[in-house]
Amino acid sequence: MPSDRGLLTLGQAGLQQISNALRGDGLWLDVGVARMRVRSDEPSLAAQLQAVYQNFPLQTSSDWADLHIDLRRQSGLRRWLAPQVRFFCDGQVPFDPFPADAALPLLEWGANWLIGRRCNHLLLLHSGVVERQGLALVMPALPGSGKSTLTAALALRGWRLLSDEFGAYDPGEGVFRPALKPVGLKNQSIDVIRAFSPDAQLGPSFPKTRKGTVAHLAPDANAVMRVHETARPGAVLLPRWQAGSATQLLPVQPQMAFSTLAFNAFNYQVLGAVGFEAVVSLTQRCPVWQLIYSDLDDALARIEALWPDVLAREAA
Amino acid sequence: MNRAPARIPAAMAWLGALQQPNVVTAWTLPQWQRVLRLSRRLRLLGRLAEQVDAAGLTDQLPQAVAQQLRAEMRYSRWRTNLMRWTVERLSETLADAPQPLVLLKGSAYVGQDLPIAAGRLPSDLDILVPLEHIAAVQARLVAASWAEAEMDAHDQRYYREWSHEVPPMRHPVLPLELDLHHNILPPVAQVSVKAEHLLARLQPSLWSGWQVLHPFDQVLHSAVHLFQDSEARDRLRDLVDLDGLMRHFSAADPDFWPGLLARARELRFSNDLALACHFTQHWLGTPMPAAASAALAESMGWRRAGLLRLWSAVLTPTEPDALPSLRQGMAANVLLLRHHLGRMPLRLLVPHLWHKARANRAKSAKDLIADTPSDG
Repeated sequence: MPSDRGLLTLGQAGLQQISNALRGDGLWLDVGVARMRVRSDEPSLAAQLQAVYQNFPLQTSSDWADLHIDLRRQSGLRRWLAPQVRFFCDGQVPFDPFPADAALPLLEWGANWLIGRRCNHLLLLHSGVVERQGLALVMPALPGSGKSTLTAALALRGWRLLSDEFGAYDPGEGVFRPALKPVGLKNQSIDVIRAFSPDAQLGPSFPKTRKGTVAHLAPDANAVMRVHETARPGAVLLPRWQAGSATQLLPVQPQMAFSTLAFNAFNYQVLGAVGFEAVVSLTQRCPVWQLIYSDLDDALARIEALWPDVLAREAA
Repeated sequence: MNRAPARIPAAMAWLGALQQPNVVTAWTLPQWQRVLRLSRRLRLLGRLAEQVDAAGLTDQLPQAVAQQLRAEMRYSRWRTNLMRWTVERLSETLADAPQPLVLLKGSAYVGQDLPIAAGRLPSDLDILVPLEHIAAVQARLVAASWAEAEMDAHDQRYYREWSHEVPPMRHPVLPLELDLHHNILPPVAQVSVKAEHLLARLQPSLWSGWQVLHPFDQVLHSAVHLFQDSEARDRLRDLVDLDGLMRHFSAADPDFWPGLLARARELRFSNDLALACHFTQHWLGTPMPAAASAALAESMGWRRAGLLRLWSAVLTPTEPDALPSLRQGMAANVLLLRHHLGRMPLRLLVPHLWHKARANRAKSAKDLIADTPSDG
């Protein structure tokens, strides 16, 4: 079978091709830290994937994947009354089923869970990461931070998206690796991003999830093309969205940044001393700011204004 | 004299890498993919990763493979450290508890620094104390914040009257579940053993205050744990444990095999040992004297062929992309029925299963997921 990599993207492909792949050998999606192979008999999934992975190449055969995911409809009477999908990985079912019309949130949630459990060769910070001029801007997820909104806004203004969920730091190389998945936006964030950029490529909305309504922003073609390009640590930003507040950027002491980075990581404890040294090195290399904001455009302007200093500091 | 290794079935050949890690350098990427998926499901990936790494081969492997091995090695080492830490905390909690305190299974392997402990992913912590000390030990555990999982009255009675352990206990800080045993098999089972026999031959572990079963009894415990259990699918790891125990203890003791067989006869575990030896020898190439294999095969008598067929169907792992076969499902059900009949007299079993079926139905109704978690 000829390699179809680089020929067509999911957005350009016909829905039928995607459906056939999902029902056949699978659809391979390279998200950087992992290559996923997705199979499913849930009919609604093909269009959902086409929307949020639209710039990913349509790859329908490969001799390798890190994550083998199968979303299967529950059989029996339930199939007709209240259909559900189950998440299978290597013959195991790590989660309870989801309603069948929420196949994409189940896939995203499950794939993130697998990455978080398995990619212990990397330190997995819980944060959004974008890149400009080779340097990474890391935004740890704190409650009410609006991390995903800010990550999405930066990605829509020319910053390269590495990840909305994982600051995947390679302690050996001292770089961040992309974990490029669709950006999960919740509730008001969805409308905020629509208003911020009318061209934003948003997938379908899934109402009534545990976190309210969820929709996903598709990573752009540049981010997908550069999914194996790493970024050196640049700066850490602790965002806090506060209604009506003026934009403020406050320097943060490295020791404060340490606990925020370490204790929000998915696998800090698993890595032991390696994790500790990685976080220490990050806090020593990166300037840290707290960003309080309510206006996205203004916040972005302030971040862009910081960047020459971050570049100069890194070069020194 | 040791019998020449039997011909190992092709689907099981990859297990040879646990003894001879050099073979992995010849594996293609698709072969690796199959082994990684299978061994992860069977909880053997950490074992494989440690063996490959100890042979200095990790760096020679394709990067995607090496990454998964390194990642799992970190994970299993972390879990093993959590087990060490938990035992350390328990030493303090039980410092003035009556002796003996006995480590079972995974913690015993770590506590003796056995080769099979490297990369063996622990799930819970099993310890054994004499029945008459259970209350005293449990009181100290409760005082140190260990608590029994919530359960209904039937389950409480099940544990109290018919089981060989108290209900599993959890701690708010320590992450491993604690199983406190007073025996290795339920007292009401057809095949059972008096705990005094086991307690009479304890050996010291490397951790002060903790003992382990005699090597023969460790092998037999592992065998009955597998062959008297209710679920035998995806249990190849137990065979890998048995293989490792037999190889390790037989190397240190020239009289290991006759001693083990005699002990099995004494405790009436010959049938379980015969099954264990058959599958370790045929699938993992465990060296054992021909006389021992022959004596064990004979001890199983007329049931041997049928039992081997059943167990072979159940223990053979399903391939990663395949659905479990009908044959395996049926064999598993036959063994489940055998298990229940062996474990409890019918007068206890029928009400027990009836209660379990009702409780399961109530639970699945409760678990109906109406909402959808999503990442934060």
